[in-house]
Amino acid sequence: MKKLEYDIAVIGGGPAGLQAALTARKEGAEKVLLIERDVELGGILQQCIHDGFGIHRFGKRMAGTEYAQTFIDELEQTDIDVLLDTMVLEVTKDKLIYACNNKDGMMEISCKAVILSMGCRERTASQIQLMGYRPAGVLTAGTVQRYINLEGYLPGQTAVILGSGDIGLIMARRMTLEGMEVKGVYEVMDAPGGLTRNIVQCLDDYEIPLHLSSTVTKVHGKKRIEAVTVAKLDENKKVIPGTEETIECDLLVLAVGLIPENELSIGCGVEMDPKTRGPMLDHRFMTSIPGIFACGNVAVVFDLVDYVSRSGEVAAEGAVAYVNGKIDEQPEYVQTIPEGNVNFVVPQRIAKGGSAKVQMYMRVKHPDKKTELEIREADEVIQVKKQAFVAPPEMISCEVEVSGNADVVVNMKEAENE
Amino acid sequence: MLEKLKTSLAEAFPGIELNLSVNERSIVTVSGECDAWDTVVDVGHFLAKQEGVKNVVNKMTVKGLVIPKKDYAPFAKKGKEKGVIRKADVVIVGAGVCGCGIARELSKYELDIIVTDMADDVCTGASKANNGNIHPGMSVKPGTLKAKLNIEGNRMYQKWADELGFALDWCGCIGIVTDERLMPAAQMVFQVAQINGVHEPEMIDAERALELEPNLAKRNLNIIGGAYFPSFGQVESYEVVTALAENAAENGVEFMLNTTVAEVLHEDGEVKGVVTDRGIIEAKYVINCAGVYADEISAMAGDECYTIHGRKGTLAVLDRHMKPEFKSVLMILDANMIQNQKNAESKGGAMCRTNEWQMLLGPSATEVPDKEDNTTTEADLAYAMATNSNPDAGYKDIIKTFCGVRPADYSEDFVIEMSPVTHGFINVGAIQSPGFASAPAIAKMVEEIFLNDAKDVKKKENYNPYGKRKVEFRHLTREEQDALIQKDPRYGRIICRCEQITEGEILDALKSHIIPTSVDAIKRRTRAGMGRCQGGFCQPKVLEILARELGKEWTEIHLKDGNSQILFSKNREKAEKGDEQS
Repeated sequence: MKKLEYDIAVIGGGPAGLQAALTARKEGAEKVLLIERDVELGGILQQCIHDGFGIHRFGKRMAGTEYAQTFIDELEQTDIDVLLDTMVLEVTKDKLIYACNNKDGMMEISCKAVILSMGCRERTASQIQLMGYRPAGVLTAGTVQRYINLEGYLPGQTAVILGSGDIGLIMARRMTLEGMEVKGVYEVMDAPGGLTRNIVQCLDDYEIPLHLSSTVTKVHGKKRIEAVTVAKLDENKKVIPGTEETIECDLLVLAVGLIPENELSIGCGVEMDPKTRGPMLDHRFMTSIPGIFACGNVAVVFDLVDYVSRSGEVAAEGAVAYVNGKIDEQPEYVQTIPEGNVNFVVPQRIAKGGSAKVQMYMRVKHPDKKTELEIREADEVIQVKKQAFVAPPEMISCEVEVSGNADVVVNMKEAENE
Repeated sequence: MLEKLKTSLAEAFPGIELNLSVNERSIVTVSGECDAWDTVVDVGHFLAKQEGVKNVVNKMTVKGLVIPKKDYAPFAKKGKEKGVIRKADVVIVGAGVCGCGIARELSKYELDIIVTDMADDVCTGASKANNGNIHPGMSVKPGTLKAKLNIEGNRMYQKWADELGFALDWCGCIGIVTDERLMPAAQMVFQVAQINGVHEPEMIDAERALELEPNLAKRNLNIIGGAYFPSFGQVESYEVVTALAENAAENGVEFMLNTTVAEVLHEDGEVKGVVTDRGIIEAKYVINCAGVYADEISAMAGDECYTIHGRKGTLAVLDRHMKPEFKSVLMILDANMIQNQKNAESKGGAMCRTNEWQMLLGPSATEVPDKEDNTTTEADLAYAMATNSNPDAGYKDIIKTFCGVRPADYSEDFVIEMSPVTHGFINVGAIQSPGFASAPAIAKMVEEIFLNDAKDVKKKENYNPYGKRKVEFRHLTREEQDALIQKDPRYGRIICRCEQITEGEILDALKSHIIPTSVDAIKRRTRAGMGRCQGGFCQPKVLEILARELGKEWTEIHLKDGNSQILFSKNREKAEKGDEQS
């Protein structure tokens, strides 16, 4: 078995991993390895040919592929080692990575620090308990995106979309542009699951109807999908009798949520947060195992790639600090505590005592207007930020200077009148 | 007998007008209209239980309900136009565990054997969609054919596993009683096990239960007692059937897939062959292993002697993260259990685990008028989920729900016999639970029926009972994996990330006698697509490999049999074609 040694190994060559590898090298890590399971770098961005990427980071609207290529070009100018078409099978708590490909065989890679950036996967038909037959023509939005954008094939002619997650909205537009008919988007919740800009640009502009508080109750067709039954839901998410309607279609696209792909993280034993389904992270995006860091959608599902890249920077800076012996092997923490309308905060904790600038990401529980984000340390308010409009699909990001001496409470409340 | 039946039927089902007849073999035929499908099933069961009744042909209809019926005429027409395409000694209809098991058994002899199946692959019906339990034989009625074959089949499984190389885990089955009222039930199961001749059943106390399953201590249960059946086994059912089919093919059996038998040819009480949509196959013997369609095939042979009523069952597979707590299949009999019990005919499955250590829940048991109705429903899934006793596990952990249809008849026993009406036609019908456990004994029984009749068959000199061992990358040590990749780099490319299935394993599957041509067929051979992302990531890769290896276009690759293509056309194909024309 081939044995390799690195200062820092990054698992996953999507936007988070690309950024993490670049930052790690820039910050002074000498031997950096980036491992990617696909045949090229870029991760899911390779199938994101629509624009809207990089507004925050580069101040312009880029295609996903273009955004990724910026980083890939930069990476090519460095001495960072890249392993493509290589699958990581296991990460141990001692930071040994087992990975294989068809050229090197099985490799045992020992590292001083590991950055996890494996991204996420989509929820499936069985996971949302879609009932009825299990024919061809029921695909997740990301798989449809891959078939159309990367492989160049159409998986149907007439589609119904279940779920209003961003990929579903993007695909509604994409399928329409490819000459397919999109009959409608059905969303279980009473508010859209995707970004407002995507509702406007992908549905409204193409007159694709969005049905809130509605779902698909049954799949028809034994071999290839022939139709779906849709129905309205009451406030308890129960089908309202008499609202069932059967819609003919030959494709059902599922855009019903993303799950951070943390199988390797769980395998090495890092503590998980049931809310984010990512590892518990500190302000350096370090997991509960010192020296193992996480960034991008494996840490928490982001909605903007700009944030994903930023998280890669944070994790890489932390990893370099760890390699340089600047992080305690048994750190003590204060917590970040969500309050009010805040559903969760990443990072979940902050190293005790060391004052730091902390990059925070959060989502709210329900949509609201004229609100105020208030961050407190002990009883002292350390930051207030007015938010004209908040909604669960729109992640909120902020940078906060903390002392690390007390828990940090992150509250979203009604804005005080001026 | 007829009058007595009429009287008791009228008493039991007043207000329903039913016509009854009984033939010389004590087969009762019933017809008439009622209001609900459940009544149809109840009447069938009621008649089958009456003294002297051998079986029931149930032609009842339900007011306002169109019961789907397969129309064989177009298939027959197509086949007759093609004429005789083959002559064989034996045609086996249906490539499930019985069809493939019998084919392999008979492949020991100098015989020309053809197995037909309407699907694109072996193991696509009830044999696929079950929980892979090899039942010990304690839950079958003593004295039935089922009881006899269940016990025998269970004992024969190790030999099958040894010869064919599929995974078989004798995990055992334990019933734990925590409610006094259920102790007699446990004792009764134990007694039935003794009567049936189950291998070493055991009544256990709390101490023994904890010795067998130390994790029980965590549950903090008031264990009163229980019963333990060490001869309970667990297999992956599709692994067993594909191994049987592969080995049968290795020994010369021909598999004709995508082939629907539309008529059974018979003349003067002798079977002559079958008409399929691909042409006529003349044969001296026709063995009916057609699952839910077995009653229809039997009727085609002039022997209408039972009716299959489909009983569907929904199952749920949970994510590997939710580790099964117990090695055995362990049932906790408590007060909830009393409430959950349905009627005896329709008992469902329990919480078990696959040999890959995933929790497997169900199946439910619901009577359905449409034999092909393998739809999952909320109620059925709820039933399956209720079999779970692990407080940490639940709906959130489901990675796959699926559903199969049991081919039950009204006697609720197997129908295995040389037809007394049409010589050469052998019925292997109504093989529902514990059909999978009984399969080796069913194969042996059919072999005996066959040999008793066809006296002059010779044994093959070069019969090879051993199946090729599959490479399973995921089960190897890192060193073994490395050595394997060094020898053959194709094992170094992981295609299915969730289950860690390599390109090499998919290519191995494609090198077999019975070539899997659909994405689901690859899944059954290799597990690619069986994990938590359910093929979200690997389906395009599997599709690419299939297209490449089979020399097909991407649009020609299907998910399963029939019209189940995954991709319709290339992007802008129409536009591009338009451009060329203009």
